[in-house]
Amino acid sequence: MAQIFDRSSNALARASLILTGLIVIALGVTLNELQRSPWVTRQGQRADQPVPFSHKHHVEGLGLQCQYCHVSVEKSSYAGIPPTRTCMNCHSQIWTNAALLEPVRHSWATGESIVWTRVHDLPDFVYFNHEIHVNKGIGCETCHGQVNEMPIMYEQNTLQMEWCLNCHRHPEENLRPTSEIYNMDWKKPSDLNPVWCTATQVQRGVPTAESVSCTTTDPGKQMLMPAALQLSLSNAPGGRAVFATTSAKFTSQEALGGFLAEHYHIRSARELSSCEVCHR
Amino acid sequence: MRDSVKENMQNTHAKLTLAEVRAKLAGQKGKKYWRSIDELAGTPEFEAAVREEFPEHSSEWIDPVSRRGFLKLMGASMALAGLSGCTKQPDEPIYPYVKAPEDLVLGKPVYFATAFPFRTGAVPLLVKSDAYRPIKIDGNPDHPYNQGGSDPITQGTLLDLYDPDRSQHTYYRGETRPWVAFLGSFRAMLADKKASGGQGLYFLSTTVTSPTLAAQWKKGQANYPNAKFLQYDPVNRDSAYAASKAAFGEYRDAQYKLDTADIIVSLDADFLSGAAHPGFHRLAKDYANRRRLDKTSTGEYSMNRLYAVETMTTTTGMKAEHRLALRANDIAGFAATLAAAVGAGSAPSGYTWSDDAQKFLAALVKDLKANTGKCVVIPGEQQSASVHLAAIAINDALGNVGKTVVYTETVNPMPTVEGDEIKSLVADMNAGKVDWLVILNTNPIYSAPADLEFADAFNKVGTVVHLGNHRDETGLQAHWHINAAHYLESWSDARAYDGTVSVVQPMIDPLYGGHSAHEILQSLLDNPDVSPYEAVRSTWGTQAASAPGGEDPDFGWRKLLHDGFLANTAFTPSSGGGKAVIPAPLPQLAADALEIVFRPDPHVYDGRYANVGWLQEIPRPITNLSWDNAAIMSYATLDKLGVSEHDVIEISLNGKTVLAPALAIPGHADGSITLHIGQGRTIGRVAGGVGFNACQIRPSGSPLFAAGATIRKTGQEWGLAIPKSHYIDHRATYVGGDGSGTHSLEGNEAIDRGIIRYATLDQFKQDPGFAHEGYGKDDPAPDESLFPAYRYDKNAWGMSIDLNSCVGCNACIVSCYAENNIAVVGQHQATVGRIMQWIRIDTYFEGDLAAPRAHFQPMTCHHCENAPCEQVCPVGATVHTPEGLNTMVYNRCVGTRYCSNNCPYKVRRFNFLLFSDYDTPSLKLMRNPDVTVRSRGVMEKCSYCLQRINEVKIEADKNNRAIRDGEIITACQQACPTNAIVFGNINDATSKVAKLKKQERTYGVLADLNTRPRTTYVAEVINVNPALTPDVGA
Repeated sequence: MAQIFDRSSNALARASLILTGLIVIALGVTLNELQRSPWVTRQGQRADQPVPFSHKHHVEGLGLQCQYCHVSVEKSSYAGIPPTRTCMNCHSQIWTNAALLEPVRHSWATGESIVWTRVHDLPDFVYFNHEIHVNKGIGCETCHGQVNEMPIMYEQNTLQMEWCLNCHRHPEENLRPTSEIYNMDWKKPSDLNPVWCTATQVQRGVPTAESVSCTTTDPGKQMLMPAALQLSLSNAPGGRAVFATTSAKFTSQEALGGFLAEHYHIRSARELSSCEVCHR
Repeated sequence: MRDSVKENMQNTHAKLTLAEVRAKLAGQKGKKYWRSIDELAGTPEFEAAVREEFPEHSSEWIDPVSRRGFLKLMGASMALAGLSGCTKQPDEPIYPYVKAPEDLVLGKPVYFATAFPFRTGAVPLLVKSDAYRPIKIDGNPDHPYNQGGSDPITQGTLLDLYDPDRSQHTYYRGETRPWVAFLGSFRAMLADKKASGGQGLYFLSTTVTSPTLAAQWKKGQANYPNAKFLQYDPVNRDSAYAASKAAFGEYRDAQYKLDTADIIVSLDADFLSGAAHPGFHRLAKDYANRRRLDKTSTGEYSMNRLYAVETMTTTTGMKAEHRLALRANDIAGFAATLAAAVGAGSAPSGYTWSDDAQKFLAALVKDLKANTGKCVVIPGEQQSASVHLAAIAINDALGNVGKTVVYTETVNPMPTVEGDEIKSLVADMNAGKVDWLVILNTNPIYSAPADLEFADAFNKVGTVVHLGNHRDETGLQAHWHINAAHYLESWSDARAYDGTVSVVQPMIDPLYGGHSAHEILQSLLDNPDVSPYEAVRSTWGTQAASAPGGEDPDFGWRKLLHDGFLANTAFTPSSGGGKAVIPAPLPQLAADALEIVFRPDPHVYDGRYANVGWLQEIPRPITNLSWDNAAIMSYATLDKLGVSEHDVIEISLNGKTVLAPALAIPGHADGSITLHIGQGRTIGRVAGGVGFNACQIRPSGSPLFAAGATIRKTGQEWGLAIPKSHYIDHRATYVGGDGSGTHSLEGNEAIDRGIIRYATLDQFKQDPGFAHEGYGKDDPAPDESLFPAYRYDKNAWGMSIDLNSCVGCNACIVSCYAENNIAVVGQHQATVGRIMQWIRIDTYFEGDLAAPRAHFQPMTCHHCENAPCEQVCPVGATVHTPEGLNTMVYNRCVGTRYCSNNCPYKVRRFNFLLFSDYDTPSLKLMRNPDVTVRSRGVMEKCSYCLQRINEVKIEADKNNRAIRDGEIITACQQACPTNAIVFGNINDATSKVAKLKKQERTYGVLADLNTRPRTTYVAEVINVNPALTPDVGA
């Protein structure tokens, strides 16, 4: 009886073994990539909106501050989508006949909402809170990207759990002075762009932002700026705390982040990366 | 579905005789606790039920599922298999406001003060509103009356607002009509009747609680002097009113001051189980405040003592140091005997008392006489007028008037004896005198006493108008039905127990455009278009404006709305107590007579909340009955009637019959059957078909209790849902179990593991550390674990529950349902043990079946330091947080249920099916947006109200300060009327919870397992009268 399998079958068998392994690996890699791909995360995608609202035009061109529209970002978990009235504040005066703005006028006339498509759609089961982030030194730009450069809004980051955790495990890498929260062009400090910060000793019950002040211009070169005091942190007789000030120059994000994390009382990475912070 | 349950019950229910149970009890040495009689007797059916971790069938798919449905499910699971984490989320639309309301910060709740106008007195509220949707109801902490406490019914009214079965339209003969069509027709009739002074126009209202409504009627009556306004509720205050009229010559309300009472006597007064008793919130708070074992300035422990005489076992009776079970009929005789003994009347003739009763009476009289001016006798709302008169006389004779009891004008503005009103109405209806009958928020076809044949009389009325929240039994029969506005949707006013005026202000625009009784009565007035808002404001505006502050003329009114009440409007006690002459009580019932007692359901009240799923599902106190009502009786009566539990019996009374399943509870008076009013509704997706309607045999002559009932066995069985003893001890002997796997963990462990620890006051004085004495009662050393200890840098959350204060009222459970979006599973699922409550109140009975003592223990996740659940979860879905919470990550959970298997407290709940309602639109409005709505296949449990912790943490972090003690309030703590639950940071030695945990009486349940629970209990101390029961306690 003739052999059923030719000698070449051995090679085929070996190849198929390897191929199977490769397919399994490829499948895994593909699924992994798929899960992180913009197709799933919508990263970088421009959703079809009723009005092609340009953040670039309104923020960079006209200089509107973020909170003009997103009013509750410092006060609530939800930053807020502006009501039609906010649009009409200006557009009842300018561009009153523009075809692009027809949906806005329609909404104003009929009282029906303008139905936007959510661009930053967090995964379900996550409770995100804007107010604590902007109050503790995370800028808008850190998560939303340079919105002032976006003619049409898109999602800069994946908003996936690994992305959140990257920061929650190392918050100091993204901290900036709270005075720079709405600054879209903030650069992390470097030798060429140093940051000077002054901190009074933090008082209980006073928001941390009020006890830390930072500047990107050298305070030493400013005529009116008094020299930073270097007082020891001690208690004066009578029990009243003496508010010592410390001033320092930071030339790296690592140093600045560490300083701010301390003075803003950022919770430890262990606390921030615990499940219950976001899931409840 | 019902058949399978019935079959199941038939299989597992063997007969149980009283003698057997007594024999079991007699063999026990020392204390013996049990949670159900099945367990006590060790019956085979109990053993079968406890063999599994979850009750029989609870982990099987036993629901009938159609082929189509099965394929649909299969298709969905195939599509989701393995890839559920990778699916792309659908596009989500955003609907912004067109004009945003001023002051609204989306994502931040706003709180408004209002009041729940319940018929026993307003419950002042603070309502949490998210984007102007009320999502949580709690007591108003600033109000002098309830000081933040609430009760199950008040909590449940939230779901009542969003009830999808609420009436949504105005109907005329079954067809929808606009409201103005009714108004036109109504006003045309009024114009016609103007000449005759309203002859033939009748109003039948639920008890009027609103002074504004009373004022409107007063003016309306001036215009229509021949029109009649009657009130009827099946549960009412007729006895109290009749007695006060007899004693004082006018209607008065009694206010009890338990903060100054050392001895409290309840004559069938269930003042510790819910708002059905007037003043519950205040009475419970004052009662509990005198049981905290704080030392007085003289270094003595000041503690009150409660005696209870009652028929049906209630939480009040179980909290009482001494309790006497008497038939409802005989309590009047007992009250008269007691009055005679304290010198306030003469003893009734023909009464003979058992030895126990005589002993009880003698000790009680001695105690009362020794505490004149510091004791109080409270008569039961559902007791006869002679008991109320006796109480008035006794309090007078003991010098309590003006001290522990004061008499004031009535809380409700139009007091009347409602039982007489319905009788006169039916007489007029039958005589053809009633031309127009306007029914306001009451449901007489369902609730009128059976012998009045209200439905027949109904047909003799020209036009019937029904205003109601639901198109109920009456609404379906009436010519006109008008959908009523809920109290959270309308303007009104009411007085609290102490008389303080509260304004009811709307929290939301009426969901279905409902209308209120104010609008209907206003039509009778000269200015018929005055809105309820204007009417309420005209009642109180002047008084409110007199409040000092600012030049703004609106300031006083706005302050009233802000505060929710008008300060200093509490009643001043009327001087001059009346003299009560105690009428001769009814003769004592013959030993073999059988009486039927009618009581409101502890949760659904007189049926008005029967469609509230939370209230139906949560097991009632004492009976543990979820859904349904039953013929509740003692074991001896059960034995005597020759029936067993769950048997359907036919109860005949005066020729009327009703079918009811039998249920025995410990401590019920022999020869008496208690029926709860409020079930047996025919409408509503929740209420329809649940239980039986006790009003079908209720006689109008004696609506509170009636003798002469006969019982017939039908041979059928009904599967009552009693979610008790579900959790079983499987451990072998070498790890501390008894190896049999046949006992509920709770009942078994309570005996020898000290789950319940208590002592009498004398024992406590001698030995303050009693809670830690005895084998297994000492906590292991902190380092006695293989696992490294966690470190807690800042906060470590913990809870302390004072078992002395807990009265077992269930307010915490309903509050938890509302706060945490807990699903209602339905009667069938509850029967098989899938009830989802995160906090339950375990009731441990102790002692003789006929005269038990009970201990209530709220049981919820203990957030153990060494949590057994965490160690067995294969996917890390339940983890320990840096602040010591044992947290659930729902999207990690794959439903192995290992955690529940390993939990010694049995507080984890598994979503066996898709219990959460994701579809009903009105329920979506009700959900707490800060808590996940759990889907099928996920384990869930108490989170210590994590969403509240996070909210406060963010606020504190923003302001750069530590979290203040008492800033985080869990939902159960907030609802508790007696402040039994305290939550806080145990790392902070000055916090209230840390101080409580340092008390010697504090102990952890099953702490010897080295679970190191974060929830601890403060052991109970009872102030027994040594003359009565010398042999209880530690």
